[in-house]
Amino acid sequence: MLIEQAKEVLQIEAQSILGLTEQIGPTFAEAVSVILRARGRVILTGMGKSGLVARKISATLNSTGTKSFFLHPAEAIHGDLGMATPDDVVLAISNSGHTVEINKILPILKQMKVKIISFTGGLDSPMAHHSDLVIDVSVEREACPLGLAPTASTTAALAMGDALAVVLLKSRHFSKKDFRRFHPGGSLGERLSFKVRDIMVTDDHVPKVYPDTGIRPALIEINGKKMGATLVVDRDQKLVGIISDGDLRRALTRGDDIYRKNVEDIMSSTPKTIDEETTSAEAIALMELNAITHLIIVDAHQKVKGMVHLHDLLGREGFKINGE
Amino acid sequence: MENNSAPRGLIVDLITPLKNGAIDGTGLERLLARVLPHAQALLLAGPRHGEGERMEMAMRNEFLKKAIDAAAGRPVPLFVWISGNTEAQTRQNILALQEGLGGNRPAGGLFCVDTPLVYHSNRGLPDYYRELQTILTVPLVLHNEPDCVHTPRTFKRRNIRTAVLKELVRIERIAGLIFSGSLERAHHYQRACRGRKDFRIYDGDEKRFLEHPSMGGVVSVGANLAPGAWERITQSSIQLHAHRENYPDRLQQIWESGDYLKNMVTLYGQSPAAMIKIILSDMGAIGTPEMLKPVEIEHDDINALKTLMHDFGDHF
Repeated sequence: MLIEQAKEVLQIEAQSILGLTEQIGPTFAEAVSVILRARGRVILTGMGKSGLVARKISATLNSTGTKSFFLHPAEAIHGDLGMATPDDVVLAISNSGHTVEINKILPILKQMKVKIISFTGGLDSPMAHHSDLVIDVSVEREACPLGLAPTASTTAALAMGDALAVVLLKSRHFSKKDFRRFHPGGSLGERLSFKVRDIMVTDDHVPKVYPDTGIRPALIEINGKKMGATLVVDRDQKLVGIISDGDLRRALTRGDDIYRKNVEDIMSSTPKTIDEETTSAEAIALMELNAITHLIIVDAHQKVKGMVHLHDLLGREGFKINGE
Repeated sequence: MENNSAPRGLIVDLITPLKNGAIDGTGLERLLARVLPHAQALLLAGPRHGEGERMEMAMRNEFLKKAIDAAAGRPVPLFVWISGNTEAQTRQNILALQEGLGGNRPAGGLFCVDTPLVYHSNRGLPDYYRELQTILTVPLVLHNEPDCVHTPRTFKRRNIRTAVLKELVRIERIAGLIFSGSLERAHHYQRACRGRKDFRIYDGDEKRFLEHPSMGGVVSVGANLAPGAWERITQSSIQLHAHRENYPDRLQQIWESGDYLKNMVTLYGQSPAAMIKIILSDMGAIGTPEMLKPVEIEHDDINALKTLMHDFGDHF
């Protein structure tokens, strides 16, 4: 009996999603186009269960390359509406389309020239009338008795949100690397399982100078490549040392006239190296052990293959992906 | 031509107040005064609970005319069951209904309700309705009710086939479907009707609506007895009105009303019309509990129903 009841609920919910496949039409394509053209963000709003659905859709949009945030309609009335700009697109969710809090803010957003898209089953509702585009998420039957809680209708709205996010993702040619940039592992643990080769800076992005280079050009290299240090290599690209901010400070503290010196005079000649198969977690552990912020990736012949900074490993200032 | 758009919400499957074998106008007035404020539409002479199966078309017409008078201009759509035992009789019924009314149409609109499998097989049904719509001046609501399709019959099926329904939905004059049957069939029917956004599917099974409400609404005979509770549950289930009250114990009240109605449906069981008439008569809401065909009722069941209503605070 219990299993049968559960099956009935799942069948109703499945049907509600299948129903959307016949309801979806040109309006959906227009909505995608509006969001793609928008210079601002997609602002999700909804009350109660629809609010929770809106939060999830917002999170999905952010993970898939569409900037978004959730705006609580009640908070919006009390000042949060200031977060919206004319460059934004509002996506409002209400099954009935009669949610008072939403219908209070939509006219104001409209005055602000914000484009409004709604997900609703109430195609003749006030919310639909306030909207530039109305996407029909009506269902034929709810799974929950007596209207105690929306069930199939919230499932339908959630599924339509996923459809929107995925279509936007494809339209933007969003790649696996983009996904990892916005969604760096989903957790720090997963991020730390990446290999250093996936994260390290390579080729021309690696700051490098020769041992007989003067300090001034070395400083220009450090500033230009923004790694906080430069490697010192010989003509065969084999690693011979590193000059970091710390090396420069120490030289200045000693009273050296650094502009009369070459990099080989002040460099650290035993930089820590790892191979490209090292994991991020191992790299961080090595940095912690040696109180350093850089590691150099070399091959078996000590030739430089890349360089990694602690920030790259932790994802601060954005998660750099190899090759970009 | 009238507006095709069928209403959403609570459609009261009105019991037929009788006096000496005829429509009791006074009882009907009192009954309508009781249910109209809570209903989105009324079904008159429904085949089972409205005893339409036992009524000649002349009596159904009389019922309709008296209901229009008793409604006194209130804009509630009226659904009337028009099926006969044959195609020809059904056609005659429709003509008689339309001619009999003349200009005296219900303020809220009129819909004919037809149970096609009573007199027609699935084969050729779309063609039949395409031809029928040439004489129809009012929209039609289909009625799929296997219990109305009596055996022995020459027709193989007791339900409209899904593929046939898909064709019927394309006929503009057909505005909706009152459905009783399995949930699986309900899903098939819903799929078949998705092409028409304005096509309504009503739950003809009260229990089904109380479990998994269809967004079109429900056809309820229990609403003769407890119109307020049915209105509350229908509005809650399909979010009929814009304003949703959010007082602290709203959900508890909805839950209790739902339980009350489920128990009521169980108690009136197989003879809802007869039992409801007895109780309404005892309440003074109709003159007599007369049925066109008398039904034996257990007094214990009546008493249990009265006790249930009393405990809920509904009259007794």
